[in-house]
Amino acid sequence: MTRYAFLIDHDTCIGCHACTIACKSEHDVPLGVNRTWVKYIEKGEFPDSRRFYSVNRCNHCEDAPCVSICPTNALFSRKDGIVDFNDSNCIGCKSCMNACPYDALYINPETQTAHKCNFCTHRVELSLEPSCVVVCPTQSIIAGDIEDPTSKISQMLGRYDTKVRAPEQGTKPHVFYKGADEAALDPLRTKILEDGMIWADTTKHHPTVPVSTPSIDKNIVARTAYTTNHPMAWKGKVSSYLVTKGIAGGALMVAGLLSLMGHSDERAFVGVYAPTAALFFAAVTGLLLILDLKQPTRFHYIFTRPQWGSWLVKGSFILLAMGLVGSLWWLGGLFDMASLVRAMAIPGIIFGAGTAGYTAWLFAQCEGRDLWQTPLMLPVLLAQAVSAGAAALIIPIAAFDVDPAVENIVLWSLFGGLVAQAVLVAIEVTSHGSVSVEMATAAMMRGEYRGRFWFGVTVGMVGAGVLALIAAAQGNVALGAVAGVLALAGLGAYEDAFVRAGQSVPLS
Amino acid sequence: MSLREEMTTAARADLERLLPGSSLTNYPPIDKWQDWVELDSKDWAHGKKTKRRFSLIPTTCFNCEACCGLLAYVDKDTGEIQKFEGNPHHPASRGRNCAKGPATINQVHDADRILYPLKRAGKRGEGKWERIDWAQALEEIGSRIGKAFREGRRKEVMYHVGRPGDDSYMERVLHAWGLDGHNSHTNICSSGARVGYAAWMGFDRPSGDHANAKVIFLISSHLEAGHYFNPHAQRIIEGKMRGAKVVCVDPRLSNTASMSDYWLPVWPGTEAFLCLAIARQLIVNGTWDRDFVRRWVNWDVFLRETRPDLECTFDNLAPALLDLYADYTPEKAEHMCGIDARKIYEIAEHIGRAVPGRLSTHNWRASAAGNEGGWQTSRTLFFLNVLTGSVGTEGGTSPNGWNKFIPVPPKNPHPHGDWNELTWPKEYPLSHHELSILLPHFLKDGRGKLDTYFTRVYNPIWTNPDGFTWLEALTNEDMVGCHVALTPIWSETAWFADYVLPMGVASERHDVASYETHMGRWIGFRQPVMKVYAEQQGKSVERTYDVNPGEVWEEHEFWIDLSWRIDPDGSLGIREHFESIKQPGTPLSIDEYYAHLFEHSVPGLPEAAAGEGLTPLAYMRKYGAFSLPGNQERVHEKVVTPHELEAAKAVRDAEGVYRVPGTAGMHASIDEVNGHMPFIGDGSVGVDIEGEVKFGFPTPSRKLELFSPTMRDWGWPEYALPTWIPSHVHWEKLNFEAGERILVPTFRLPTLIHTRSAQSKWLAELSHAHPLWIHPSDAEKLGIDVNGLVRVTTQTGYFVIKAWRTEGIRPGVVAASHHMGRWRLDEHTGTPGWTAGVVSLSGPHGGFGSGDASGDGQWHMRQEHGIQTFESGDPDSQRVWWSDAGVHQNLTFPVQPDPISGMHCWLQHVTVSPARPEDRYGDIAVDTGRSMEVFHEWLAKTRPGPGPGGLRRPLHFARPVKPLASAYRV
Repeated sequence: MTRYAFLIDHDTCIGCHACTIACKSEHDVPLGVNRTWVKYIEKGEFPDSRRFYSVNRCNHCEDAPCVSICPTNALFSRKDGIVDFNDSNCIGCKSCMNACPYDALYINPETQTAHKCNFCTHRVELSLEPSCVVVCPTQSIIAGDIEDPTSKISQMLGRYDTKVRAPEQGTKPHVFYKGADEAALDPLRTKILEDGMIWADTTKHHPTVPVSTPSIDKNIVARTAYTTNHPMAWKGKVSSYLVTKGIAGGALMVAGLLSLMGHSDERAFVGVYAPTAALFFAAVTGLLLILDLKQPTRFHYIFTRPQWGSWLVKGSFILLAMGLVGSLWWLGGLFDMASLVRAMAIPGIIFGAGTAGYTAWLFAQCEGRDLWQTPLMLPVLLAQAVSAGAAALIIPIAAFDVDPAVENIVLWSLFGGLVAQAVLVAIEVTSHGSVSVEMATAAMMRGEYRGRFWFGVTVGMVGAGVLALIAAAQGNVALGAVAGVLALAGLGAYEDAFVRAGQSVPLS
Repeated sequence: MSLREEMTTAARADLERLLPGSSLTNYPPIDKWQDWVELDSKDWAHGKKTKRRFSLIPTTCFNCEACCGLLAYVDKDTGEIQKFEGNPHHPASRGRNCAKGPATINQVHDADRILYPLKRAGKRGEGKWERIDWAQALEEIGSRIGKAFREGRRKEVMYHVGRPGDDSYMERVLHAWGLDGHNSHTNICSSGARVGYAAWMGFDRPSGDHANAKVIFLISSHLEAGHYFNPHAQRIIEGKMRGAKVVCVDPRLSNTASMSDYWLPVWPGTEAFLCLAIARQLIVNGTWDRDFVRRWVNWDVFLRETRPDLECTFDNLAPALLDLYADYTPEKAEHMCGIDARKIYEIAEHIGRAVPGRLSTHNWRASAAGNEGGWQTSRTLFFLNVLTGSVGTEGGTSPNGWNKFIPVPPKNPHPHGDWNELTWPKEYPLSHHELSILLPHFLKDGRGKLDTYFTRVYNPIWTNPDGFTWLEALTNEDMVGCHVALTPIWSETAWFADYVLPMGVASERHDVASYETHMGRWIGFRQPVMKVYAEQQGKSVERTYDVNPGEVWEEHEFWIDLSWRIDPDGSLGIREHFESIKQPGTPLSIDEYYAHLFEHSVPGLPEAAAGEGLTPLAYMRKYGAFSLPGNQERVHEKVVTPHELEAAKAVRDAEGVYRVPGTAGMHASIDEVNGHMPFIGDGSVGVDIEGEVKFGFPTPSRKLELFSPTMRDWGWPEYALPTWIPSHVHWEKLNFEAGERILVPTFRLPTLIHTRSAQSKWLAELSHAHPLWIHPSDAEKLGIDVNGLVRVTTQTGYFVIKAWRTEGIRPGVVAASHHMGRWRLDEHTGTPGWTAGVVSLSGPHGGFGSGDASGDGQWHMRQEHGIQTFESGDPDSQRVWWSDAGVHQNLTFPVQPDPISGMHCWLQHVTVSPARPEDRYGDIAVDTGRSMEVFHEWLAKTRPGPGPGGLRRPLHFARPVKPLASAYRV
């Protein structure tokens, strides 16, 4: 068997960037994105200061998270170990960019699809080395078959100690570093200082450690003197999608509860409004997902070219199933078939919860984003769904002539969901995780996203929770509606902080 | 299905791996180059295996001076160049390149490059152009020059070259024109280092065999810049991996310094002090090569001249040197240079262990180009080679001439007999070489005028110090009658031309060049790739502009056609040199020129070509380079046989030097010396070394000259020996409390090359920001905020730049790279938008067209905006994400020519302060009246010739386009 890999020799690399340009030339890589780049860091005080380099690129992982998350088989592992991609399958969902712990992928502005180093497979097929290898003045990039004991790379791996980037991610990376400085390989140990980089502009797309706290700062041993753009992949549409599908799933969950508790005969509210709200927000969810794609017209590839290991695919089918359940429910309500409405209660709860909760597995597939790896993600999503669903039900409830018991259940659901959320978030942000989690949490609570986060907590959880409690205690649906609005607004703010903070930690 | 898709279907079946199994290689074998099939990388990304057929044609990179090999991939279906890789058959670059090599494709395809000859339509610098054809350009320029020649105004025609890229072609043209009209970029680059080397060995450049050294001592940043970046970086790293200690002297933490075992950030200008301290320590330790020094150094002259009290025996050399350098102890060096004395002891020990012969050293720009007296840096550095016997050895440093080969061109004209005092003024008899930076100052001082001035890949307004004085001269039609810019790219200078004539980049022109990259000699052949490709397809190409992009031409053909226009009837005696050898009366073709040159002037090439059944020209077209046979080790030890001495009619003089009558080394009257003099040396052929006649070095003594009689005889007896000269920016002269600092404005990045990388979007993306490096402690002392704007005040003006705090620079020194700060005056045309900001300029009398000579030279430049996205045929121009265009600091530097070498002393004595409220980033203010004053102050430091024999310059010194000896007589 053949297993291709790279070895980067930083005992000899002179940081000349020839590899970067040879790669741009071989693949016609547009401005603003890179398949390979050279990072500079500077350490020490004059006259004992020194600059170190690290050549960064796709690690052609054995367990490649980008391949696992890719919904449409656009990314795939070849038999020879190379992780390659196929533009024709890519829908531009950017999940690979968050799955990869190495910042290796980017959206090509020309093709609007995800690209990365593919080991110059089109050359390797002919026995030609990747173009970066050929150009290197000091022969510091060695490409070859590590299963062939006579290859130069095998011999060097045998002879020298090497390191890999982010081994803790368990991806089994296949770019090996000889002679590299630890900090040059660890993005959390260096920082772009306020006065920028050595000979390139620093933009907001040059990720650096997001916040300064004593515990984060003590970890930093060098400055980042040169690195490249890596814009955030998921932004407002993804955080909005988390809200809308929470509402959709939650509406069915709470209405299912109402149904199970004997209120399936509330035809207008439980039979029609609840599934209408769920279906509407499910539709918005789908729309947001499609609009966030760089290739929106290819959204159907998820169904026609599915990669079943991807939670984007599984989630899409869960969403479809939820839509089916909601539709039957709605038909039951519309045609006054209480038994059908009742029959949909348990499937509604299951697929509502699935809709809200599958994202926990999707985000868990984002190996690059440690904040999202929390085991509390699923309970948080479910709690959010309960409160969001309850909010969607309580806001217009006054327009329906419903049994006060129904109001009561919805109000207590709202309150319960909010309390659970608050407790879970409190546990989450106070528990200790990796440096990366600590950084993301700090970015969320103290950094750029603190406004959104604290709005979410104070208004969306505490404020809305207190109002919900009063409303529930007093049976005051108007106050409940206010609480519901606050809860949804807060949820939007919180999700946005969570999504962005999760991506604020540099991977390279 | 498209054609390409159709081809895809059948593609895989007949595409075989070059190697069995999983093995990989770097290039296809040369026998497949004319018909090489590769898979399309972009289609591969769509899961398609599209075959693309290429012809791989070697050429030579035209970015830095190293002239590395390139391989152009010409797509046989589109007829366009797809990419550039390296040439595995190139002896220096060995198939590898720096970032600038593959970036050549950007220069070829840049959407805004100049594609057609342009003639000025408005006033000079107004930016109005009309497209003309080559015939018109040739006719108008040719007749103008012809008229000047016929009216006896040959001195008014000047060719000023930035990047030569070729070794002999232009020399031939100028000799044929009978003109001392060559001007170069040398004194903004290497004059300092050259004089230091020439003083020792005649040859003015070093050639380190870094790969085999035990200690590699660099006063330069060779792993990112320098002569010759990629080839030398390969070999320095090889040496390092074999265990060599690398020492790097630089006030700034260069990438090279970072890779070194010892980074010595000495005070700028004290490098010679450091070298002498090490030299002294070698003698103290007794770790020097006594045999080598005894045989090859003129120690006897040293003792006789300086120590009449001592008997002239070799044993007295060490004590005399210890007396001479008594003050250069490591402890004193610690104070003077600002580095730990212990490091000096350690390095001296390492160097001691490299005896004999394994110390390679290099200095090119850096200190030698920065400081008054900087030429002593290379001289004292080479002293270490001499002491360790590391001259001409494996692992040592050779004279460059032994590792470089310049073929004699066909129909080589008789040398011209002219002397141009605008380029070789009497004040600088020892300069290496032309006083190019002073041209506008001389013009303003009324020392002459120019009828026709060619700038060729040269951008003095931007690159040279005191650019506004250049601008004043270039816009004054009384000083410069006609300015022709031969350039592959828009530049600040081309904007002020009368004709902008587009000349090719690496794949669009012919040149032959050779450089001292390692021990051995090679020549590289740059060729117009599309011409070669057309000829492979059976088409004949009359002129390269027929196949290059647009009507981009090459100078070689241009000069032939222009010479015919200058002398249409042959009455000036010029045309004959540009006529075909086989068919006189018709123009010489480039093919004929090179066929002849490769057949007759390159030893070993005809045999190698015959071995493959090729003509020498076909061989060079195929391989792009040739490695000359022969061992270049210890050339000085080569025995000169009695037969050779007899053939040369050599006569032994009292010093044991074998001189040849009628040469610079032996003549009663200068008129006896006729014909071409050797480029370096006086024509002597050998020297008696302990009873044997050896080849030696091209110095008057044919030995290495510790004591330089030339320096003594030409007005500088105090510098007859290697010594340290306190720099014009010596730290002890600075008032640090008042905010004075040393500015290093010259450092290079590995990714850019002077002004031509502006046409590469990828290189611009890699590096564009232009901060002023400053140590945090300095920033604190000077009150400069993080990210704060800084005003840097020079003797003639100031510039406003951003600070970058770094531990990578010596406190007391600030630095900004020399690459950035590009500008243009027009929103749409001019220096490429990847690197240039748009500026507004206000000069004396409210404009820049007046050519101010009154002394009222107040100039202001303001950046209207930095780099922005722009409209062009390239979608990437809408993706430009950076904005910093940098600051054109060189405008604010007065000329500071070293009184001996003529080197512009780049380092600036500046005052650094926080910017004032009215300052904006990129602001420049200059008083060119003050520039002229500073010019005169530096001119007053010189000791004008003539020298011995009433000569303008020592005959044995190198000189481009060396005239007849009689022209040396005042």
